[in-house]
Amino acid sequence: MDKLVTPDPGLMLWTIVTFLALVALLKRFAWGPLLTAIAEREARLRAEGAAAQKARDEAERIKNELSTQLAEAQARRQEVLDRAAKDGEAVLAQFKAAAEEETRRLREKTAAELGREKDRLVVELRREVADLSVAAAERLLRRSVDPGVEKAVLDEFLKDIERGGRRQ
Amino acid sequence: MNFEEILAHHLLDHVYFPLFTKGGFTLAVSKHSVTMWVVAVLLVLALSAAARGRAGAGLLWRTAIEAIVLYVRDYIVAPVFGRDSEAYLPYFLTLFFFILGCNLWGLLPGASAVTGNVWVTAALALSTFGLINLAGISKFGLAAHFKHLVPGGLPWIWWLSPLLIPLLYVIELIGLCAKCVALCIRLFANIFSGHVVSLAFLCMIFVFAQFGRAVGLAVSPAAIGLALFVGALDLLVALIQAYIFTLLTAVFVGMAVHPH
Repeated sequence: MDKLVTPDPGLMLWTIVTFLALVALLKRFAWGPLLTAIAEREARLRAEGAAAQKARDEAERIKNELSTQLAEAQARRQEVLDRAAKDGEAVLAQFKAAAEEETRRLREKTAAELGREKDRLVVELRREVADLSVAAAERLLRRSVDPGVEKAVLDEFLKDIERGGRRQ
Repeated sequence: MNFEEILAHHLLDHVYFPLFTKGGFTLAVSKHSVTMWVVAVLLVLALSAAARGRAGAGLLWRTAIEAIVLYVRDYIVAPVFGRDSEAYLPYFLTLFFFILGCNLWGLLPGASAVTGNVWVTAALALSTFGLINLAGISKFGLAAHFKHLVPGGLPWIWWLSPLLIPLLYVIELIGLCAKCVALCIRLFANIFSGHVVSLAFLCMIFVFAQFGRAVGLAVSPAAIGLALFVGALDLLVALIQAYIFTLLTAVFVGMAVHPH
């Protein structure tokens, strides 16, 4: 077993030469292609990751934008509703006032017409009563009264009635 | 039966034919050099096949190799070298797979364990030593690299420092060599001892057979079981030692590249 520790520079040289040649060969045929492929794959994964992150950010941005817009739209709708309610109340109040005014006007007009009608009826009634009275008196006095006197008496009588009607 | 002969037969290098001899230096085609070449060729074939794997079994093989490659890159090389990783990665990947390949090949029945030869591991440690200095010199230049051997910022004491600093250089130089020697011995001892223990358990059968054939047969299940157990352990050791050698090489080279 002495040979175990007997220096063997030839084998050492072979080892170094073999090893360095192996480094060169494997670099050329194995590590080069393998590491390039790994680097490409890692670059691709990084790029995909970055793209996914970008897409996620974009989606997040759009979502935020949409929710802002939604909030704005809701605020605007609320505003419109409030304004419509207010306008409605105003219109209602206006209509109510107009209706009340119309009612009042109609009532006054009706009262005035009723008054005029009453006056007319009173005059007519008096005239009727006078005619009836004259007819009655005529029947009583038919033969004894002269038609000229009759006319004068009747006129006075009518005037009296007129005056009496005014006094009432 | 001589246990030492068995060990020598299984674990030592055997020269097939010398190519070149001058003084004490002999360059020969030997059992271990041929084994190394076989492992190297197999590694080139297997790993280049992995690099080309696109579908089916090839893709599976590629994925398996990629997992190891990524582990070496992310947990051994990248923490030490950072952005310079790319330049060093082929060396460390090859180192890991070469040691792993040699270790595993050595576990095959009838194959020889080249990493159980101290001169092979010494050569690998020498490569590490060379890489440490090359990396340091290429980064800082020759003078600055050796200046960095001793940490900067030491307090200057006029009567002590002129004596101490040269001493520190000597100590650090010895430390640098010791690191590499430790690398060499660690790998060699782990692989060598694994094989010795396996063989020792198997030889127990023949030792006990000296007392009678029946005794040998009775002992053999236990002996084979123990040898199998050690073999399984060696599988683990093959992986761990390849990892440790690669990791420590990275750490040592890293210390030269980042002296502070």
